[in-house]
Amino acid sequence: MTRVIEVPTHFDDRSFDTFAGGFGEWPPGEKVLVDARGTQWASPYGLIGILTAGQALAEAKREKPLLTVPTSDEVKRYWARAGFFHEAAELFELHGKVPRGGATGPSDVLLDVTPVRATEDVHGVVHKISEGASRILHGELGLEMKATLRFSMALSEACQNIVEHAGTGGWVAVQAYTFRRRLGRRVVVIAVSDAGVGFRRSLESAHAKRFGERWGDGAALEAALIQNVSRFRDPGRGQGLAFIKRFLDQWEGKISIRSGTARLSIVPPWDEDVPMNEHLPHFPGAQVQIIIPAQEVKTR
Amino acid sequence: MIQTIRIGLLLREAVAAPYRNLVTRPTGAAVRNRIEATLADSNCLTALLDFSDIELVDLSCADEVVAKLLLTVRTAYFVVLQGLREDHHEAIDHVLTHHRLAVASVPPGSRAPRLLGWVPADAREAFTCISEGGPLDVSGLCHNLDWTFSRGREALDDLAVHRLVQPVGQLYYPIQTA
Repeated sequence: MTRVIEVPTHFDDRSFDTFAGGFGEWPPGEKVLVDARGTQWASPYGLIGILTAGQALAEAKREKPLLTVPTSDEVKRYWARAGFFHEAAELFELHGKVPRGGATGPSDVLLDVTPVRATEDVHGVVHKISEGASRILHGELGLEMKATLRFSMALSEACQNIVEHAGTGGWVAVQAYTFRRRLGRRVVVIAVSDAGVGFRRSLESAHAKRFGERWGDGAALEAALIQNVSRFRDPGRGQGLAFIKRFLDQWEGKISIRSGTARLSIVPPWDEDVPMNEHLPHFPGAQVQIIIPAQEVKTR
Repeated sequence: MIQTIRIGLLLREAVAAPYRNLVTRPTGAAVRNRIEATLADSNCLTALLDFSDIELVDLSCADEVVAKLLLTVRTAYFVVLQGLREDHHEAIDHVLTHHRLAVASVPPGSRAPRLLGWVPADAREAFTCISEGGPLDVSGLCHNLDWTFSRGREALDDLAVHRLVQPVGQLYYPIQTA
């Protein structure tokens, strides 16, 4: 028997829970078919979410899942340009015609879908992002020049969380696009996802006792993002997320972290999201999304 | 005597690649170990850490390289940073403030150091006074800043604890940076 999981038509952080719900209990007992034929658009968060599912199934020693690629040539080309199929081919049995080749010339894809498994990968990601990030952040979004370096720092810290806490590898992708429905402005989105132990298990031994019966995925996210705690006793830990929050506040950016059955967001004024979502369908590991919007021109 | 340590060189040794970004904790720890090894073989009094070859310093590396060095380095050393850009300042200032530590940094083209991290406001003022005007004793500082003797002593004691001035007898000297 095969469990068919439909990829939402418009696949981003908002529709992610529908996708996660398709898996039922983790890991699903049946063979899995991820059906993206009807998908018209996917954010970086969505793309690496699919890969995370494939990775989690592989690590749970389930049969290699199937993935039917989008029907739309335009969507397929975009996914190919973002490096998605290159990585997906390792984790899924792909069905449907996949375009060859990657991107040529300037693109809104600042960083292809990139695996993060070790410290060296973080160096590679930061090295790769620097030139394109400046073009987009300063040139298109109107952020000050030093924003590029803060952005690279945020990316570095987010990727390091995979290496240090997940207990397995993960993925990162960075893309610029226009947030028509929610904001009506250009944004840069960093998406980071892993199929690891998640925040609750990572922090459990050091912090669960303090929360008592409240301890769960939501409390673990609160401890990490609001209280800046870490599983390490080293007092220097936990500053990465604190720093990211500080500069996102300055730029009216948004960070949200989903882990297990909960999602916690620092919500800027332009967004209508709720800060804490609990009792969501379970999904392995942790998924982080950072959104940095174009700065509004101040008029007197 | 001053020992200048080029962080860019240690970074290239640590990652065995031509990267100029000081990122990740393992990299920071490897660079710090190399700094400590260099200092262990040196009889210098001041370690001048030169960041001029570095493009980016992330929080993790700022913590591993600078904060942990200040926490672990043997008390005979004075640590001074040079070649930092504004965004480097931000990361290092953030982690040092978190630990309630401070370090002197010499801006490019200047000999007057600035303080990064956390010290009480009076200690910061005393640091500027001594860095710009030269060595002072407690009375001299209090005279310059119109402070009471106990206030001046406390400020200088704070700076001495943070290794931001060098006490010699009754005088407090600016850290040697050149």
